[in-house]
Amino acid sequence: MTSLRQPASTPGRRLAAFAVASEPGNERLALNQVAAAVASSGLTPARLERLKTAVAEATMNAIEHGNLSQPDVPVDVEVIRRGDDIVVAITDRGGEHQPAGPAEQPDLALKLEGTQRARGWGLFLIRNMVDGLQERNDGQRHTVELTMRGEGDGV
Amino acid sequence: MKRTCTAVVREVGGAAVIELAGEVDGGAAGPLNAAYEQAVTDGPATTLVLDFAAVDYINSTGIALIVSVLARARSERRSVVASGLSAHYREIFDITRLSDFIEVFADLSTAVGQVAGPAA
Repeated sequence: MTSLRQPASTPGRRLAAFAVASEPGNERLALNQVAAAVASSGLTPARLERLKTAVAEATMNAIEHGNLSQPDVPVDVEVIRRGDDIVVAITDRGGEHQPAGPAEQPDLALKLEGTQRARGWGLFLIRNMVDGLQERNDGQRHTVELTMRGEGDGV
Repeated sequence: MKRTCTAVVREVGGAAVIELAGEVDGGAAGPLNAAYEQAVTDGPATTLVLDFAAVDYINSTGIALIVSVLARARSERRSVVASGLSAHYREIFDITRLSDFIEVFADLSTAVGQVAGPAA
């Protein structure tokens, strides 16, 4: 389920603002709405796919680690045009927390040996998919900002 | 709309092929593990082909499931190859280094042709 949200605090021209319930699978709703919001922004198809993956992973983190999968606690998503950049702000109500559990660098060889857990790819994927990753929190709301810069091979 | 993961096992050219469809996320654990069991029970296949041609979404939990399947296969001295990945998920296989351990082919027929080797 998604719902419209009132303006949040991310500066720039808002392309979309909505919320999803903290239920497993709702990251797909978020990525689809973000993709629709940036459809005419000039993102190349490859970079759009990267942004979609980052949005999905950040939303999953917000649902699971921030809102502890409580369905009545929303994840707010805001899509902003800031100059040439596309910024997606994803906010949960978890305050200060690790956005994707332990911040260990995933090492596939160690995972295959069994000395590192198989999971733990979320933050790694986010960092590799977008041009910028910033976090902020006010003690109650934790926000992850994903930025796709408007340079290089297009936005 | 969510497309629940399905995994169908069949033998093609001597290889055990697991044809995945839908979304490879946390919900894929049951179908993928059951398919692996069937694939290694039905025959002596030493190579498993994971075909992603009908997959439209893979998330980090799905990546972890693939890692688990790969770890188990390696412990049983089986190799795993992949086919049908989109350019985006091929990139993710590269970034995560899965492609260092899982040879990636453009499509299933190419994968099976390579796995089976030249006809006698």
